[in-house]
Amino acid sequence: MPLDYRRFNGPEDSVSYKRFTKGYLKSYDELYKESLDDKGVRKDGRALSEARSLFARTDMVSQAKGSSYVELRKTKVVCSVFDPREIPHQNEFSQLGQIFCEVKFAPFSCPRRRRPHVPDAEEKALSVALRKALEPTVCRHMFPNYQVDVFIYILENDGSCLSAAINAAGLALADAAVPMYDVITSCTVAIVGEKMFVDPTEAEENLATISPSTPINHGIITLSMLSELKQISDFTQVGSMDVECVVKAMDILDKECARLVPLMQKVLVANVLKCFETRKRLEEEANEKEQLLNAKMDEWKKLLKFT
Amino acid sequence: MGSDNTDLKDFKLRPMKCECNYLSKSDGSAILSQGQTVALVSVNGPLDIKMTNQSIEKATLEVLFSSKGGKPAIGDRYKEHVIRQTCETAILGSLYPRTGITVTIQEMEDYGGFLACCINCTCLALLNAGLSMRHTFAAVACAIDELGDIQLDPAPAQLAAARATMTFVFDSRNKTLVCGFTEGSFSEDAHSEALERCRSASQLVFDFYKDIVSKYSYVIG
Amino acid sequence: MAEIYKLIHPVKYFNDYLSRKIRPDGRAFHEQRNIKLNVNSIKAADASAVVKCGNTTVVCGIKLELATPKAEEPDVGFLVTNVELPPLCSSKYRPGPPTDSAQVTSTLVADIIANSKCIDLKDLSIVHDKLAWVLYCDMVCIDNDGSLVDACIMTLMASLKTLTLPKVTYDPETEEISVDTSVRTKLNVNGLPVATSFALYKHEQSNIVLADPSSYEEEMCGGIGANLITCYNNGILCGSQKFGGCNLSIECEEEALKIAKERAQAVEEVVDVCIKNYELEINK
Repeated sequence: MPLDYRRFNGPEDSVSYKRFTKGYLKSYDELYKESLDDKGVRKDGRALSEARSLFARTDMVSQAKGSSYVELRKTKVVCSVFDPREIPHQNEFSQLGQIFCEVKFAPFSCPRRRRPHVPDAEEKALSVALRKALEPTVCRHMFPNYQVDVFIYILENDGSCLSAAINAAGLALADAAVPMYDVITSCTVAIVGEKMFVDPTEAEENLATISPSTPINHGIITLSMLSELKQISDFTQVGSMDVECVVKAMDILDKECARLVPLMQKVLVANVLKCFETRKRLEEEANEKEQLLNAKMDEWKKLLKFT
Repeated sequence: MGSDNTDLKDFKLRPMKCECNYLSKSDGSAILSQGQTVALVSVNGPLDIKMTNQSIEKATLEVLFSSKGGKPAIGDRYKEHVIRQTCETAILGSLYPRTGITVTIQEMEDYGGFLACCINCTCLALLNAGLSMRHTFAAVACAIDELGDIQLDPAPAQLAAARATMTFVFDSRNKTLVCGFTEGSFSEDAHSEALERCRSASQLVFDFYKDIVSKYSYVIG
Repeated sequence: MAEIYKLIHPVKYFNDYLSRKIRPDGRAFHEQRNIKLNVNSIKAADASAVVKCGNTTVVCGIKLELATPKAEEPDVGFLVTNVELPPLCSSKYRPGPPTDSAQVTSTLVADIIANSKCIDLKDLSIVHDKLAWVLYCDMVCIDNDGSLVDACIMTLMASLKTLTLPKVTYDPETEEISVDTSVRTKLNVNGLPVATSFALYKHEQSNIVLADPSSYEEEMCGGIGANLITCYNNGILCGSQKFGGCNLSIECEEEALKIAKERAQAVEEVVDVCIKNYELEINK
């Protein structure tokens, strides 16, 4: 790899110290037992079908048109959306507006290794998945020949980062007042054999992607939905599984996505209310000032008449 | 065109030598040596640039720094930034709207006080290119050693023994600070003393400019 | 109405505020924005801190790695600091490799840390010529609203102060390394460098010093970033950089140094209190 001369570089042969700790290499069975105990309780105390509590807020980045922050316990995602701008380097007229997405991991976001600064395959794949999910959601015919930039920064990755990114992007787009058909929500499920981990952590995702040689169902499915319209905007699957398994997972995800809608609506309504309140306050202040000025004006007019 | 050897021993600045119009193809160029430190600067402009980079209010300044080895490094961007900010205040950019001015600096030899040499050389090259300027500018480097003594225009041996090094750039009209950057840690008093010493020493550099320029052009004052 | 005025007469808009001795965001000239600090919120990193100075938000995370030291300096570890300005923090940046301003900020931060000598790189050595710690410190700007260097230094120092190094044993014969994460020692940090940014503006023959400028003010004062950055560590200056803006007079400089010194103490207090609270919490 060529040396990155735009950054300070460390020594070439450095390795994470975790490589030398005890229990760095664990077998599949050990990992499985760690993730799920005999009673069907996950490592963090959740039941299999239980999602993590979601914290979301808008107005995170002052410099952006719209922005949001989504937290699923340890997974932390920031998103910002900027004003539409003309599509650079394009000669033809495009009827539909475009959405440009970039997903970036912080170098310190992953527990296992340090992320490289240059975008890797995973980041590119996530960017494409995010764009595909957002394209059917946004009323793209409203801004032909323009593009909207959506930037996602993952501060900490503890699984389900694509669904967190989609949720964040939906909120940020709404905050930026980009016209959309519906509230977009997304959820992930990790499949290990018969078990389905809803809203998996990074360890569970890892478990679902490494599989022993036996051909059992394993993989990760992320689904994003426009729940009111009953439409699926994106479906991303990694791993191999049979059809019944996919159908079952879809049912779970459909319900999870629908569950998130009121949460998102609450956040957005709070945002709108806040906007109204500030506007009202500013208007009142402006009125007060104007009245003061008018009073002064009258005084002066009277003085003029006397002289 | 002009080459000059000024005896500045009394003032403890290393001898400066300069040749203007060193390069034949650029609008203005200068090579300057301060002691053994040598920098070469070429200035081109005002010239046509891409629409996207144009500014309707002033000329767009581009500074390119090339190190001796030719390999780019992150520190070079910092040097470019320093020189660009200095030129930006000095050049009357509003006289050249929608154009670009390119300043290219080539490192020749670095024997201490290199960035100061680059800045002085840039000023000479700008004068040589005939660009309108608010004022000229002069950079003076100094080093503070362990005892707190201030050495103007330090040589490599003095730099190695220094606790801190500072470089200040002054304008020719009021001798106010245009740009300044420091390395190492020091007390406030040392800082202000060094600043004053450099401020008075900057007159030597301005005199040198006048000497050089008067060889090929009429100088007011 | 004010927004339109700002667009049509940008300079006059700014001057109108300054002539009434107030800044567009309602602050006095020397008033600084509130600081919010939180440590160790990112568990994936070995140490981390989030700081908010007004709107400017910077997250710093440190990842620990092991490497063989350089042959010419066998007793010295590595401290790699980088500032990331992703496109989401401001509309000025586009995706791609670091811009010039990101590189300049990175250099400034690295210089300040090196000049203040707050970390002795020899502390990072484990075995002579064989093994040393590498501290990858990445500062990510989430929201860039001016005075970026201040925030970067603050979050970096807060993370370094909470960083603990696990115990490493090295077998010289088998060259085997083992790390025990249950035994951790604190990294030795000498002092706490605090950077303070200023914007310098010339208004009707008088020079104005604006402390802790927002990105709008930085832009109006004609700089890429702040015009003057001064840095104090243990009451000693460890860096003073001035670029662009109006020329700096002696009075202005004295004024700035005074503010910077006061701020250094205030920031020190903030960091200390935050770390103390954090330590109380983990010891519970």
